[in-house]
Amino acid sequence: MTKYVIRRIFSGLLTALIVFTLNFIIIKAAPGDPIKTLMGKDTNDPVLRAALEEKWGLNEPEYVQYFNYLTNALRGDLGTSIIYNQSVASMIGSRWGPTVLLGLVAAILALLIGTFLGIFAAQHEGGIMDGLFSMVSYALDAMPPFWLGLMLMIVFASRLGWLPTNGMTDVRAGYTGFAYVLDVARHMVLPCLTLTLVSIPGYFRIAKSSVLQVSNEDFITTLRATGMSERKIFDKYIFRNAILPTITLFGITMAFLITGITLIEIVFSWPGMGRLTMTAINQRDYPALMGIYLVVAICVSVVMIIVDIVYALFDPRIRYD
Amino acid sequence: MGSKKYRGLARMKEAFFLDGQFRAGVIGIIILLIIVVAAPLLATHNPYEYGPDNLVAPGVNGHWLGTNHMGQDVYSMIIYGVRTSLQVALISSLISGVLGILVGGIAGYFGGKVDLVISEVINAFLMIPTFFLILLIVALFGNSITNVMIVIGITSWPGNAKLMRAQALSLRERTFVKSAIAMGETRMQIMFKYILPNGVFPVVANTTRGMAGAILTEAGLSFLGLGDPSIISWGQMIYAGQDYITVGWWVSAFGGVAIILTVIVFYLLGDGLNHVLNPKYSFDKGGK
Amino acid sequence: METVLEVKDLCVTYQNKSRSVYAVKDVSFSINQGDSLGIVGESGSGKSTLAMAILRLLPPKTAKVTGEAYFQGKELLTLDDASLREIRWKHLAVVFQKAMNALSPVHRISTQIEDIYRQHEPKATRQEIRQRSQELFQMVGLPDRVYRLYPHEMSGGMLQRVAIAISLLHSPQLLIFDEATTALDVVTQGQILEEVVRLEKALNTTRIMITHDMSVVSASCTKTAVMYAGQMMEIGQTRDVLKRPMHPYTQGLLHSFPTLTGERKTLESIPGSLPDLSVEHAGCVFAPRCPFATDRCHAKRPAARQMEDGRTVACWRYGGESDG
Repeated sequence: MTKYVIRRIFSGLLTALIVFTLNFIIIKAAPGDPIKTLMGKDTNDPVLRAALEEKWGLNEPEYVQYFNYLTNALRGDLGTSIIYNQSVASMIGSRWGPTVLLGLVAAILALLIGTFLGIFAAQHEGGIMDGLFSMVSYALDAMPPFWLGLMLMIVFASRLGWLPTNGMTDVRAGYTGFAYVLDVARHMVLPCLTLTLVSIPGYFRIAKSSVLQVSNEDFITTLRATGMSERKIFDKYIFRNAILPTITLFGITMAFLITGITLIEIVFSWPGMGRLTMTAINQRDYPALMGIYLVVAICVSVVMIIVDIVYALFDPRIRYD
Repeated sequence: MGSKKYRGLARMKEAFFLDGQFRAGVIGIIILLIIVVAAPLLATHNPYEYGPDNLVAPGVNGHWLGTNHMGQDVYSMIIYGVRTSLQVALISSLISGVLGILVGGIAGYFGGKVDLVISEVINAFLMIPTFFLILLIVALFGNSITNVMIVIGITSWPGNAKLMRAQALSLRERTFVKSAIAMGETRMQIMFKYILPNGVFPVVANTTRGMAGAILTEAGLSFLGLGDPSIISWGQMIYAGQDYITVGWWVSAFGGVAIILTVIVFYLLGDGLNHVLNPKYSFDKGGK
Repeated sequence: METVLEVKDLCVTYQNKSRSVYAVKDVSFSINQGDSLGIVGESGSGKSTLAMAILRLLPPKTAKVTGEAYFQGKELLTLDDASLREIRWKHLAVVFQKAMNALSPVHRISTQIEDIYRQHEPKATRQEIRQRSQELFQMVGLPDRVYRLYPHEMSGGMLQRVAIAISLLHSPQLLIFDEATTALDVVTQGQILEEVVRLEKALNTTRIMITHDMSVVSASCTKTAVMYAGQMMEIGQTRDVLKRPMHPYTQGLLHSFPTLTGERKTLESIPGSLPDLSVEHAGCVFAPRCPFATDRCHAKRPAARQMEDGRTVACWRYGGESDG
């Protein structure tokens, strides 16, 4: 188990290193002067330029520059957004909360609903509901998340007026306490629904196929031959074995989820990292973009490592390897 | 090997008649290709032209699916958008396919330390949220469609590499490869003559699904304002229609429908190809 | 001697959208208390399907089972679910071929044994079950520590022994071994067979052994049944069937194995291949490959006839102008 955890952490570190290196290569290889890139298109302050050149050691050889970049990032210095004159780290720090809230709720909902429907479809394989779910899952899987968000917005917010179209709270109302929580929940319904819907197909497919696969395993036949009830066979043996790929999927879809969140946040003006990304793109605020990429990549790999360790708790075959 | 290929073709033919998914995928792709070729005939307007009717609803003034805020005909834009989508799908997955096959093939065939290092790198790349990398590069290097295709291609190879590696690992133990080694063929010859051609099929099936991914990624980039403004793409239609969503829902809505249908075609084709390639899959049982 | 299992005209047909496969056709046999019956045949001969049908483990959607199977007087094929579950494992247990997959990979052996034991003894304490397992582990030659292990921590041979120990939990009257020793190496297989025969004498159980390996049958079975293409060709005492095979298929099958006595003979395979089971055959199903086949063999299926030494043979060569 220890060996396994160490291995996973090692690949996490390697991922982080690759992301750092890619970032570095991208700045160096981008057309134009890297300092200009870091300063932003419309700034041309010689003092700032000198300060940046000093910080990145642009007169030094490349490997020193790379090392500088790495140590700065490790100290938590992700650079400064020239446009906002604010450190990228603090910009991200003030925005991650709403993103995590949205992502976590949607991921858990998608996991529960998708798995439940997948199990149902497997138990009624070939039935009408199985066919229906499979078709809907295929279509949802093919939908651009932001498009689905827009369509839900047209129907539920614009046409029916049931729910607010954007933001996380109604600023003018100035709710406090429970009313505030309720207001956030109301604003969250549509973005969360969108994100949940586009994440369901993965869980649906994997739950269905692994329940079907495990049900055909020899040990299930053996258990049936022992006179164990179908219910107990399912609850204790099929479920426990079939749930393993779902745990893995939860880790794998993190990268997909964060992409979905970014795009959906933009549709619903949710004040999280996605909005930050959008503004950074529009302003060509490259330090902010790179900082976001770095933080997102590291967060995703941390979550994936945690998921892998949780997986090992469920699967004895890994624990003892 | 000749006979193997022949059996593959026969199986594809069988799949076409018996596997609904594969058949739907093949028919879908043929329709898309027809649209690509016959776009000028099928379109009712010039999609690049800013007409006099701004934001008219579907059906008005001969605009079957309405117009956008600039007066462009939505139906004609969708017809021409097939070209962009297929181009993105094809070129980016070609790049990711070739890269994946080479990297995975080398790792799997050479094995040992080479494999250890490459596998570790593949796994690390699989953990990276690719979309952010793509948008960073496109933002910095410019948002021409060529850049977009290349970037999607060079960031989506790890999945293919993983598949190819597994293929090469198992092929290397097969008799015909072992006998080629015994006959004294060089590693490069073996790699290009035996390993790659025989292991490539699962990667092809995966790449077909990857094409769907490329289309969705391009749409996502367009939605962030990183699309190529000089071409017509469905993602940009959704992006541009967003601001007029309350007064002209059709611009975004139909662009999205076009994406969904095209992506589904690639999914069907990919799943169908997987059925064809999986010798255990029996068509007349309709599954298992 | 009391009859433990009597099977009459058992048929199994696999059905899917486009075709039917007649996997088992009109099989009848019976087995007495204390007997051990080996059912041999090539792969695809329907022997495993036959066992699965008797155990009622075939998927009801795709496999249609007709005929009768009386186990201790109860008809298994039409028994209601509750009564069937009452019989399962307590009186009728099975050991499957792939021991590696016969146990859940994510549960400890102890957990699985406890669950299986409590199926019929719901009030049994952990200690009781533990003790019973220890006895059985000792019988099949397993160390005690196995109880706390996961399946992936054991070798194939150990798992096979665990599977056998589990099958004996409630000392069932009838035990079915479905290729249970096929995956093992010869030495382990020999050991396990020896133990099985010894246990059987001690516990007075009855056993059906499904295998494609003649040596397994000769080492561990008192009676032998030979199946071909879903039909029973010959059943009799093992010494009669193996020494003096009567049915041409049995003769051919024995020729394709090294002789058990070590005589030097050329090994011959039977020319031809298994017939297409998705069509019904009017004549003897073996006729196309049979060296003695006549027009009658191709035209009409021979009925099973009892011989003087008690064995049953389905072949026109052994009498019967009468109908089948």
